[in-house]
Amino acid sequence: MTDLLFLAFAAVTIGAAILAIEARDLVYGAAALGIAFLGVAGLFFLLDAAYVGWFQIAVYIGAVVVLILFTVMLVGPKKGETPLELKRVSLLAAMLVSLLLGMTGALANATAFPGPDACGSGCDLALFSTSLLKNYGVPLEFMSLVMAAAVIGALALSKTDRGQ
Amino acid sequence: MEPLSSFFAVSVILLGIGIYGLTTKRNAIRILFSVELIYNAANLNIIAFARLRNPPIVTGQVLVLFTIALAAMEAAVGLSIIILVSRLNADIDLSKLSKLKG
Repeated sequence: MTDLLFLAFAAVTIGAAILAIEARDLVYGAAALGIAFLGVAGLFFLLDAAYVGWFQIAVYIGAVVVLILFTVMLVGPKKGETPLELKRVSLLAAMLVSLLLGMTGALANATAFPGPDACGSGCDLALFSTSLLKNYGVPLEFMSLVMAAAVIGALALSKTDRGQ
Repeated sequence: MEPLSSFFAVSVILLGIGIYGLTTKRNAIRILFSVELIYNAANLNIIAFARLRNPPIVTGQVLVLFTIALAAMEAAVGLSIIILVSRLNADIDLSKLSKLKG
């Protein structure tokens, strides 16, 4: 059951990621990116990280993909097209990717990292949230400060001077 | 349960797709897609390694929580820069942006 789910999520993630990079239309690319994020969230669920999976769905699909779609609409679909690609860089990238895939083949040896046993009470959400608030409370507050700074910076960057 | 190596394999493939997009594409939004894919590959890797122990290591999951929030902020700032560039220039081809070159 888990194997089938894993295969489905992995296939959806990788296929949608390739589509996000290679789709001709940027709007389709953004939609495919959202599906890839959904697949990664599914993999998080399989790894017993349910809270992180829901966070991924809320932040990536709820915020980032919507933001990207708005930007594509604002910039305009015409400007999004760049038909010319660099040949030599493309070759280099293909070599790099094949190197990485070769590393994967070497690493995908099931005896190196066997699947852990199913965890019962260890994967409890209460444990996670207690640790999050008890040990990482101050970093969490700093995170919200950085988030506020980023939002103000983004607003200041894209502000238009209507007076001129 | 599926062996953890398969999750690492998915992570490496996502990283490869991200690097491929980063090197071959010149559209700023497409490059942002690639960066987000690389972020996701890193997050998946961290979560898989945190699951190596039983029960899972909570620190890894908290780290991924912070990474996701930081990636969202990075996307917000990057997209506002892209909007600014598209307002100043005709298109958002990154190889044509040489205004800051000395």
